Amino acid sequence: MMEDQEEKGNAENGIGRQKQVKDEYLLQFLDSLDGYLTLLDSLSSTLSQGWLELASARHAMGASRINGALLDLKVHAAATSLKVSEQDVDSMESQPCFTLCKWASSDNGERSSGEEKSLSPQLRHRNNSQLSGIISSPVSFSHFFNFFLSCEEEKVSTRTGTPLILVDQQQRQKSLSVFGVLVSPKLRSAQLSFERALETLVEIANLHTTMLSMFEQVHKELENTNG
Amino acid sequence: MAGRAQIPTKSSALIAMIADEFGVVLLCWDTVTGFLLAGVGNVDLRRKTNYLIVDSKTTVKAIEDAFKEFTTKEDIAIVLISQYVANMIRFLVDSYNKPIPAILEIPSKDHPYDPAHDSVLSRVKNLFSAESVASGRR
Repeated sequence: MMEDQEEKGNAENGIGRQKQVKDEYLLQFLDSLDGYLTLLDSLSSTLSQGWLELASARHAMGASRINGALLDLKVHAAATSLKVSEQDVDSMESQPCFTLCKWASSDNGERSSGEEKSLSPQLRHRNNSQLSGIISSPVSFSHFFNFFLSCEEEKVSTRTGTPLILVDQQQRQKSLSVFGVLVSPKLRSAQLSFERALETLVEIANLHTTMLSMFEQVHKELENTNG
Repeated sequence: MAGRAQIPTKSSALIAMIADEFGVVLLCWDTVTGFLLAGVGNVDLRRKTNYLIVDSKTTVKAIEDAFKEFTTKEDIAIVLISQYVANMIRFLVDSYNKPIPAILEIPSKDHPYDPAHDSVLSRVKNLFSAESVASGRR
């Protein structure tokens, strides 16, 4: 009789654990679904802002300066790319994990990560020595602008103390230069908006794979329950 | 381990785009132009781009061919497709089930995002509605 009670207790514990696992899968799935919908909503807002800024830039610069005929059809590699790694979900399953590499420099023929790189003391020193040179020479306006942007980048990262993201300003400027040397500030704002949209899209992609993975698990559990 | 799906890892993969830009010239190109400004544009040695701009002259066959091409290329990790364009090739999008490249349906300027048409969300909705019918019968 004691053995029967023990067996009954073990069976109940097993059923309880199964239910716990099912609830966990369901909760993770619903959580990822909620995150997915929230991010899509955020993406819609960011894209709307980008479209508006692009329209403003077109209004300021003229339709002839911002149109499809100017798109760069020369052979070139994408400056912004993705890194795909494998993420273990459990022993039988793995899912892809996407990481955005913005403005990866391809000057040396090799692509550097362009992400989460810290500025070395050598680079800081170079920036300081360049400052006096640029102020004394009235020529290079665009160089000064690029330098100013990179200084601002350094200031922000030093202040926050977070890992520094190395953004290739020349690549960003090159992307804008398709539409001319002097472009409207709205076009630069549009560029930043679409960069933010890209970051959101990579988050969506990661949640998308998690959601699909959890969906398969829940589907399997439901089939087992019905079967 | 037996039965474990292999995920191909890539250190530098591309984002492909199929975006709709219906309407007059002033309304065209915006989504693709925006993402090209963000640096995702790629033109290979054969002068083939990683994006397709869909306009009034683009046929459904051309969209299908572009979708098949982008989803079979090894160097593409994410395919962005306007939901309006995805609706034109809905059967093809819904029957796609590989983890890479990931297919993301995005809103376009003239057609806001509708969760009811999203391929993943409609699959989820079908599952739960089938389950509630089955549990009702039980």
